[in-house]
Amino acid sequence: MSQTNRVLNRILLALAGLVLLAAGTATAAAGILPDIAAFWTAAGSSLMDRAGSLLAAAPLPGPARSWWAVAGVAAPLLAAALSIAWVASQGGGRTPRVARETDGGLGTTVVETGLVSAAVKQALDGSPLILGTTVSAWETRGKTGLRLQLQARQGASPREIADTADQLVRGIDALLGHPLPVLVRITSGTRTKVAGPGRAR
Amino acid sequence: MSQHRVIRRLVRRETHSSRAAASALTAGALAAIFLWLALEAVLALLQQSPLLASPDRLGRWLAGVPANTPPAGLVAAGAGLAALGLVLFAAAATPGRRSRHAVHSDRSAVVVDDEVIASAVSLRARLTAGLARGQVSTTVGRRAVRVLVRPTSGIPADRDKIGTAVDAELATYALDRRITPSIHISREGALGQ
Repeated sequence: MSQTNRVLNRILLALAGLVLLAAGTATAAAGILPDIAAFWTAAGSSLMDRAGSLLAAAPLPGPARSWWAVAGVAAPLLAAALSIAWVASQGGGRTPRVARETDGGLGTTVVETGLVSAAVKQALDGSPLILGTTVSAWETRGKTGLRLQLQARQGASPREIADTADQLVRGIDALLGHPLPVLVRITSGTRTKVAGPGRAR
Repeated sequence: MSQHRVIRRLVRRETHSSRAAASALTAGALAAIFLWLALEAVLALLQQSPLLASPDRLGRWLAGVPANTPPAGLVAAGAGLAALGLVLFAAAATPGRRSRHAVHSDRSAVVVDDEVIASAVSLRARLTAGLARGQVSTTVGRRAVRVLVRPTSGIPADRDKIGTAVDAELATYALDRRITPSIHISREGALGQ
């Protein structure tokens, strides 16, 4: 339910992949075709010469000597900052509150996730289908959504768990007064394996 | 956004990978490379000795790669780079489905791990055939369920009965994508059950 921009992730991965693919193809081609190797060497040395003349073209007093040298520091720094921003943009959006209501100057009511979590835990206490629950709230597209993770007991029917979850969600709707988008995850984990199937089955 | 579209979006995001790990790894590598380049550029500006190679030497080295490397090395390095590129591109282009299925619900988006489905199908098959724990194992794929039954030695298992029971069990789940079961009865029986 996080706010990760998935389309952007894929676009950037595709771009990085294509750049590497092109570089790899060029390197391999230089190994196979001598013409390409010669072109590479010629283009490389002419680019180095051009860089040298550029450095001289925009002189700057002081130790930096050239505006282009300053640009040579700034450009990789900017690229590094963008890369770090890319890493930092992954995930996010988790919020400790499920709902927030401002009551015309009288005050603000905030419902914390813990309340819903406790209610769900109590409702499912001793359930033959469900071993454990995790409740979290997420901010997606300006709206708060609820994520209910239910750990199934071994052999429990997904339908029965889904129906139980629907009942729970109706209860949460009544508790909060307005329906939230809800995601229910029915998972299996280590506790599922250790606890074994229910007895009455 | 309508309720229905919200649910569809939630289900899609939960059943497909966000590619966050591959993304973060790539971005982290890029950040390291660019920070190193910036550092080398600063060191060259201040006329200090470089960390690994000054920008000038790096440029000359890059220009001289085809001249200073044997062709076989070039081909191998190129193939390596291209393979890495293909892996990244594949991560971007493939859907990245997770082994989970959506279950119908009027109110919320419900996504079930395939393991949970497998365990429930196993139990149903096991109870139908009257077998002990561990004699039925189930694998759930994207479109198919494979139920492997190891009957008790000397007592044949009724494939049709198990098949009908598994069909009925799957039908109750109301999975949003139909999955077809196949029942396999192993030739070797289990002893002493």
